[in-house]
Amino acid sequence: MPTYRKTLGICAGLLATVALTANAGEPYAYPVTNPFMATVAGTPEKLRAPTPSDVDVQQTDLKVRVLPDRKLPPALSQYRDLHYRVAWHDEPAPLIFLVAGTGSGYDSTRMDYLKRLFWQAGMHVIVLSSPSNHDFIAAASNSGLPGMGAEDARDLHTAMSLAVENARQELGFEVTSYRLAGFSLGALHAAFVAELDTHLGQFDFERVLLMNPPVDLYASVGRLDALSYTRIEGVDDNDSFYEHIFQKLSRHFASRGNSDIQESLFEEIQSSPDALTDPELAMLIGAVFRFSAADLSFMSDLVTHGGRYVPADQQLKVSTSLTPYLRRALFCDFTCYINDQLLPAWKLENADKTIEDMAWETSLRSLQDFLQNSPDVAAVSNADDLILTESDYRYLADTLGERAFLYPSGGHGGNLDYAPVAERYLAFLQGGAQ
Amino acid sequence: MKRLLPLALLSTALSFNAVAQEARPPVPAYHDPLLELDIDERDNRYQFERSSLRALNVHDPLEGVNRRIYRFNAQFDRYVYLPVVRTYVWATPSPVRTGVSNVFDNLRDIPNLGNSLLQGKFQRSGETTARLLFNSIFGLVGIFDVAEKMGLPQQDEDFGQTLGVWGVPAGPYLVIPFLGPSSLRDGTGRVADWVFEDYVNYMDNRDFMNDYQATWGIWAIDLRYGIPFRYGALDSPFEYDQVRYLHTKLREFEISH
Repeated sequence: MPTYRKTLGICAGLLATVALTANAGEPYAYPVTNPFMATVAGTPEKLRAPTPSDVDVQQTDLKVRVLPDRKLPPALSQYRDLHYRVAWHDEPAPLIFLVAGTGSGYDSTRMDYLKRLFWQAGMHVIVLSSPSNHDFIAAASNSGLPGMGAEDARDLHTAMSLAVENARQELGFEVTSYRLAGFSLGALHAAFVAELDTHLGQFDFERVLLMNPPVDLYASVGRLDALSYTRIEGVDDNDSFYEHIFQKLSRHFASRGNSDIQESLFEEIQSSPDALTDPELAMLIGAVFRFSAADLSFMSDLVTHGGRYVPADQQLKVSTSLTPYLRRALFCDFTCYINDQLLPAWKLENADKTIEDMAWETSLRSLQDFLQNSPDVAAVSNADDLILTESDYRYLADTLGERAFLYPSGGHGGNLDYAPVAERYLAFLQGGAQ
Repeated sequence: MKRLLPLALLSTALSFNAVAQEARPPVPAYHDPLLELDIDERDNRYQFERSSLRALNVHDPLEGVNRRIYRFNAQFDRYVYLPVVRTYVWATPSPVRTGVSNVFDNLRDIPNLGNSLLQGKFQRSGETTARLLFNSIFGLVGIFDVAEKMGLPQQDEDFGQTLGVWGVPAGPYLVIPFLGPSSLRDGTGRVADWVFEDYVNYMDNRDFMNDYQATWGIWAIDLRYGIPFRYGALDSPFEYDQVRYLHTKLREFEISH
């Protein structure tokens, strides 16, 4: 009998080893080794995990009123309700919530791809805008000042409850269990929501997937801000960066002979002499985030009646020009938002604490115990993710261990649609081998 | 011996655990992409602000009206236009939709040809003439874009572009009901192209469409079907400003090529 048990033990051990080698067996062959390119363009089409065409997905957009008392001016009245996207099955199935990243809405291209992927794998999917996105701030942020992990999680948890309730009533599908996934800042939010839910016991998420999470949020936004200060060869202190890019495009089209703009345009340019350089790509990424920061700063100020942009007595009608406010909000990057808007509000209730305390409270490090001891939480990230410092990266590896799916390249989320990567995190979500 | 057994088992388990630890793929080495960038550390580092502020300088004296029309278009799109297009996509197989688009695209080659000539682009005019002939005859009144397969892709030229090429400035920015962003010059150009198409009445298409008015409905659906733009896609309370800039740049771009 003892020998029998011993044999069994050995077999189990061997099996585990085999399983692990199988996992690590295929060498990682992601072709886009430049992190900026990967971040901007993602995976070449042929290597993407296939998804159904969007018209074949049973889906619709719904809305819920989360904050009945929130008043918004006519110019922004379209944000009174929280809009979200649902893809559902007729059969009972698990439901996954998908939370978008910084400055991303529920309808962004990346979210649409992940929605199709999860839907195809047999899940109902509810996609929500990032709590830092202007629409969520207006419709669902209690304080109107996103950026604190625990508070954002409460807003998000409420929005999720209302959204799923509303979707079930309207569409009549049946949910067997809940899962949760988020991208970038949405991944940080997912971690905070998952932790919150262990106290509330409402969803009891069976799997939580963090896709390219920041670890220390304020460090990550500092890195994103920095991208928008990249120096570019050929752009001096009197030049416009956008004009510079357009001139490059222009040269490309001139040498090409026709100006037919196709979907493959970006890949085509990148393999031509007018390819965008790393600093240019970095600046483009930085600029996109700066516009998100401007949206965030403007919308938070409006909702909290901060008076930084819109005077208190100014009614924003549909015809009112918002351009002057954008002109001013452009100057506020993420770090400016944190220092000038978030911190003062937080200080009102935490007078004796410092900004370092605030940063820590919104960092994954504050969820250490939860992350370490929850076998159902995993993360996907890359060694060259733009938003991670080295210690952030090490933190993911050390805290999550085998539940950190770390790849040598892919930038910030560029490899999420790469077939082998998608298969691995899908397998985790579906409860298979980790 | 019996008492040692659990120990032996434990040590076996531990050694296997160690094997498993070793077999775990190593954590890929961290690489900081920002290190290779030259980040401006000066106090007056305004590249983003300078570029973006300039992009907001678009001549838009009718902004109030434009913003109202923009909002109307967005609502119309959301509640009427797109649902109709979605129904169309749901009800028809993809080859049919492509055929429909090709037929209308083929007709559009008439103003494309006229404007290529007016801009003195003779090679392009020749290519567009060839497209018209091939597609109208071998492509069965344009249902199949055979010319594209022969290496002659469609090259759009409208009268707004022609005016631009001849030095007419864009004039004030305009948002046209149902159609969206334009300018005084390009709006006028649209009317001119329309009149021109009516006048040429290629393959009697206008007569045909006026006789069977439902074809205008299909024309309108196909028009939206072919435009990937979605209101809200720029995901910003400042979408109006961003669209205004991008549209203006795109037009400049089309005119210079």
